[in-house]
Amino acid sequence: MRAAGVILAKDLRARLRDRTFFIVAIIAPFGLAAIFATLLPSGSDDLDLRLGYADLDGSSTSAAFRDGPLQALVDAELATITAYDDAQAARAAVEAGDVSAVAIVPSGFGQDVELGQATAIEVVGDVDAGFSTDILRSLAEGYARELESVRLAVATVIGDTFPVPRERVAELVAGALEQPSPVSVVDVPAELRQMGAHTFYAASMAIFFLFFTAQFGVLSLLAERRGGTLPRLVAAPIPPAAIVAGKALGSFVMGISAMVVLAVASTLLLGADWGDPLGVAALIVAAVVAATGITAFITTFARTEEQAGGWNSIVAVTLAILGGAFMDLSQAPEILSRLSFLTPHAWFLQGLDEMSAPSFTYADLALPLAALLGIGIVTGAIGLWRARGLVVAR
Amino acid sequence: MERGASGPGVPVLSCTDLRKQFGDRTAVDGVGFSIAPAETYGLLGPNGAGKTTTISMICGLLARDGGSVTVDGQPVDIGTAAAKQAIGYVPQDLAIYPELTALENLRFFGHLYGMRGPQLKRRMDEVLEIIGLTDRATDRTDAYSGGMKRRLNIGIGLLHQPKLLVLDEPTVGVDPQSRNAILASVEALGEQGMAILYTTHYMEEAERLCDRVGIIDEGKIRAEGTRRELTSMIGQRDRIELGARGDLHRAVAAVRGLDGVVDVSAHETGLSLLVVDAGRVLASVIEAVAGSDASVTNVEVVEPDLEAVFLHLTGRALRD
Repeated sequence: MRAAGVILAKDLRARLRDRTFFIVAIIAPFGLAAIFATLLPSGSDDLDLRLGYADLDGSSTSAAFRDGPLQALVDAELATITAYDDAQAARAAVEAGDVSAVAIVPSGFGQDVELGQATAIEVVGDVDAGFSTDILRSLAEGYARELESVRLAVATVIGDTFPVPRERVAELVAGALEQPSPVSVVDVPAELRQMGAHTFYAASMAIFFLFFTAQFGVLSLLAERRGGTLPRLVAAPIPPAAIVAGKALGSFVMGISAMVVLAVASTLLLGADWGDPLGVAALIVAAVVAATGITAFITTFARTEEQAGGWNSIVAVTLAILGGAFMDLSQAPEILSRLSFLTPHAWFLQGLDEMSAPSFTYADLALPLAALLGIGIVTGAIGLWRARGLVVAR
Repeated sequence: MERGASGPGVPVLSCTDLRKQFGDRTAVDGVGFSIAPAETYGLLGPNGAGKTTTISMICGLLARDGGSVTVDGQPVDIGTAAAKQAIGYVPQDLAIYPELTALENLRFFGHLYGMRGPQLKRRMDEVLEIIGLTDRATDRTDAYSGGMKRRLNIGIGLLHQPKLLVLDEPTVGVDPQSRNAILASVEALGEQGMAILYTTHYMEEAERLCDRVGIIDEGKIRAEGTRRELTSMIGQRDRIELGARGDLHRAVAAVRGLDGVVDVSAHETGLSLLVVDAGRVLASVIEAVAGSDASVTNVEVVEPDLEAVFLHLTGRALRD
């Protein structure tokens, strides 16, 4: 282990003198993350929704909208809701910038719903607050769908028995609204758990470039062979495994260093929120193990540094695309979403995603960590076994 | 440095029946020799003769197909550390880190050989003095001249004061001035009592440096001994170096049957001949060459030397 440490120290010294390390490991991922986060729509990093609500109806149906989806935002500490007595005051509040968007429930809304007549919740948004308006509109649409299912349920109970007393219809509607939905689509909580843009791009660029950083260690075995220094290392009184271990440690240490610097820098300078520090540390270690394993595996099939570098680049880009490091795969076809979990990128981002949920516990990281470590251990074991063959001529 | 089992009369290096096969090609075929303390032993042979493969097996860089190696009384294998501690290996190609300084290169390899602290510092200073790089010790080696890099390459092999210094053709591709400096350094190390294994395809280097020489060709040691012992093998024979142009193969055929000509081979610039009594046969040789489609440009008669021995043993010149 001492010899591996000596080789590691030499490699780190040489690599720190080589500016490509800083460019590939720090500057490029940080710069790209900053550019992406600036150019593309922001997520929930800056989620501070100031919404308004004007209930002109006062029915139990309109109250259910306020107490259901709107209250969920307040409970999650993602929004403040201001109530207004009339539509004019609500619209004025938007124009004045007091709130970003308001939902106006018209008078007679509950009755129209009960009778199956057309009605609408009006959403008024500030033109400069499209994200807030979109969220409020999504909530209103979701509630409308729920009401539609209630209307169908009531119609089914009533059947052809007309006329039905109005009190009976109101009773059925109220009863149906109180029943839990038989089919629940957890749409809103999923959005609330999503990482913000700054965090997503900082993390995705970090793990994308990690595959270029982690290749340095094992790749330097090929460099030692080309440079003629490998025979001299083998001639030294150290086990050949120490040479391989020193190189693998180099990949690991450089990978960890780059990831930590990026996590800290993106938090301080880009406002990214990676999540619980202990969980982030565990994810980073596991991701670096995976990246080291995969790059070691690939490198040992190459004959030259150039070949290994080319292959590693192709794999890094392919895995990043497949793993959703460049784009959100939630809207992608099912097959792509499934394939993404063959990549460390998807598991790493999934782990960070888990930590952004309000109900996060460390147990939520078990699967992402196990997947990352599993990928790293399997590919790394094969890679390091093959790397020993690069060291010892037969 | 810790010392092993060698002492007076006990060889520093002993290798027997070394064998190595690469596919269908036999690279080393039963090579065996030993080196006594303070002895400089030369492996002399043309390119591809098996010198580097032999050295690679001796230094534990390459797995053997057969045979055994002991250095300082310890068996050598790829994973054995004890014997490797006694070997200082100087590869044919430069084996230094260009992005590090000479001091950093020396310190790194010193650490690999277990050296630390004041002992390492003192030894680094000594080696830098020996190789003449004290003034440039803190410069990155990618700023060095070719000769300086060669000297550092040797210095790293000396750093841990090995029992056996193995130099694999250290003067290949080196300018004459640096070559002389390297040869002088090796001579000095031999005089200081270090056992040295030196491979070369330059006859002059083997004659200048080596106490004993093993002539190797096609993976086999053809002969071994001191220069006197080897040259006595060919008796009272002379070597004629004939500069010639034209169809040298016809010239060889024309000369081969002449009375007094023992061996003849063509090379890039002419013919090498091994003859009995050069004074008697020289005129007929020149006449035969001139009678073929070749013209003689110069003639040199050389006292019996290792080149002549190699020609005698293999029928080919060393430079072939």
